[in-house]
Amino acid sequence: MNSKMTFVAVLALVAAFAPTARAAEMTEKEKALANPYPNDFGPATLPDDVVKSYPANVQTGYKKLLSNKSGCAQCHSSARPLNSRFVEPEGGMDDKAQEASLAKLKKDQPDLFKDASVWQVEAKVWNRYVKRMMNKPGCNLQKADGKSIWEFLAYDSVKRKTGANAVKWAAHRKGLVDQLKTKNAKRYEELKASNDL
Amino acid sequence: MSYRKLFYAFNAAMLAVFVWALAVDFFVEWRPYQATYYKMAAEVIEKRAAAEKDPKKAADIKAEARAMRHSPMEIKQIIVGDLGRFDRCVTCHVGMDEYTNPSLKNDFKENPYKSHPKIDESLVKAHPFTKFGCTSCHSGQGLATTKEAAHGWVKHWEKPMLKGDHIQGACVKCHGDFENLKGAEVAAKGKKLFNQHGCQGCHAINGWGGVVSVELGDIADKPFERIAGFNFKRVRIDGKELPDEHHNSHWNIQNWIRGHLVNDPAHNTPNDPFAKLNAEPIAPSGMPDFTKELSREDADAITAYLSGMTKEEMIPYRWHVPAPPAREPAFADSKSHGHFVFQKYGCAGCHGMDAKQGRRRFNALGAGQKEYDEKMAEKDLFDNMQLGAEPTLPDLMGTYTHEELVKKISGGVPATDAKKWNPKGPMPMIYMPAWKDKISKKELDDLATWLLSIAKKDESGF
Repeated sequence: MNSKMTFVAVLALVAAFAPTARAAEMTEKEKALANPYPNDFGPATLPDDVVKSYPANVQTGYKKLLSNKSGCAQCHSSARPLNSRFVEPEGGMDDKAQEASLAKLKKDQPDLFKDASVWQVEAKVWNRYVKRMMNKPGCNLQKADGKSIWEFLAYDSVKRKTGANAVKWAAHRKGLVDQLKTKNAKRYEELKASNDL
Repeated sequence: MSYRKLFYAFNAAMLAVFVWALAVDFFVEWRPYQATYYKMAAEVIEKRAAAEKDPKKAADIKAEARAMRHSPMEIKQIIVGDLGRFDRCVTCHVGMDEYTNPSLKNDFKENPYKSHPKIDESLVKAHPFTKFGCTSCHSGQGLATTKEAAHGWVKHWEKPMLKGDHIQGACVKCHGDFENLKGAEVAAKGKKLFNQHGCQGCHAINGWGGVVSVELGDIADKPFERIAGFNFKRVRIDGKELPDEHHNSHWNIQNWIRGHLVNDPAHNTPNDPFAKLNAEPIAPSGMPDFTKELSREDADAITAYLSGMTKEEMIPYRWHVPAPPAREPAFADSKSHGHFVFQKYGCAGCHGMDAKQGRRRFNALGAGQKEYDEKMAEKDLFDNMQLGAEPTLPDLMGTYTHEELVKKISGGVPATDAKKWNPKGPMPMIYMPAWKDKISKKELDDLATWLLSIAKKDESGF
């Protein structure tokens, strides 16, 4: 009888501490999901027709982004960059050209600057973010791959989130924010308070 | 045995005990010191008498010498009413007893006969022995009457006499402005180094500083029950192990503090990174290795400063000399002020002096680590975990905007954000606290300005 009770007690203890032990061994991806952004509720890939419509070099960047070994997906779901609110104006490496594009967007599409939870339009925003991720210890992203991913993200952000696609994007993005609000209200409030929605 | 014989035997035994007790009381350690002092002092007075030409005066001086020579052997003590302390140091250090030696001066060179050094200087004059006693500055065991015990070089006495410059720690106890005091230069240097190297980024002192590690406002009171002998045995001073005597004069708080500065603290406190003794792995001490940055002299200065961090002694409020915080220097521009803020809040503790190199963060990711392989030998695993590091800021700053930096520093980075090199290893100990309630808006802005100014040139090619 005693041995049975001991066995049950041990089982109960194991069950009680199992979540703690699991938490200690969370992978980077699990950690990212434990602290989600609205982005994480979106699809982790783009529709094929969208990808096919992009130039070849941009498609290469997309493929690298999806890579589990040397792309963004090594640390977090590829949904995070793909559903991000970031928009980097056209202009590529040329700072002045980007600033000019930004000014044009402000003039032609003022709606893009009204709701920061849908669009965060900023010169070189993807450029900075890709480099920041590359500088994270343990990130295997090489310079050439980083550049390729940045080219994709900058190009994709303008194509899919502005112009004729702006309304569609806004609906998609607002849906993601609503999902976060419903599924993880605490995190939603946290991100809202820190202007990170 | 008859009752008579028993009576004689009992009386003989009583007599023996009585004689033994007298002998114990007579052959005490302090008595020869006192006798020698009286003799030496009497000889000095006799010389003065011999030199005196006025016979009447000479007779008076001779009488004085005689009185000195035949002074009573006694326990002498200073009653420090404010602290409820009885310091008997003057029982042996008779030259410092103002009743035996009213001038408190003599020409003797040796301890315990010589008078107190620098007796004419303001430092000593401002601290009359009758008010402050001895141990309030020097520490030690004031009630004791043997050399070893009185100096606190015995088991279970945790505050041995402060030697050399460590006595300057006593200034820190009461003087808010000790940095400006003549005689407290070493402690002042210690404070400066403490701040320069970013110790306050992790260790608060009296609530001022970071919350990552233990508060040091009472570090001088740290009881030895909280320092495992195992750890003390690993401390090396000048490359040598401390004598293996538990609770003796070497196993003291000064050597514990110094031991963290002249050794790699991870060596002193290795903990259990492979969970051999605990259910979960525990990283070695998270304190950086300062051995390449601090000389032995520097380590001693910091030790002297921290020796004054005590709350144990009931120092009366009227002993305290409060001082407002030192006025911060004026800066010509935001950038130089930002650099000052970096030092003021101890950012160097994790990010290195002038943010040049992130310091060690056990089992975090860092440069030079091999790819993790669970089949690696334990030594390889350990060596790679040791290479984990805090961010080297110039590498990263170019990827932030001013606003993003302000936000990052305000909110901090929780320990759980750390990516472990060895997934089965311990959670990296150090984390970045949220600074929003500690750093003012202006300081944050200027800190961000300085940090952006040190960003490494972007060589990514895009």
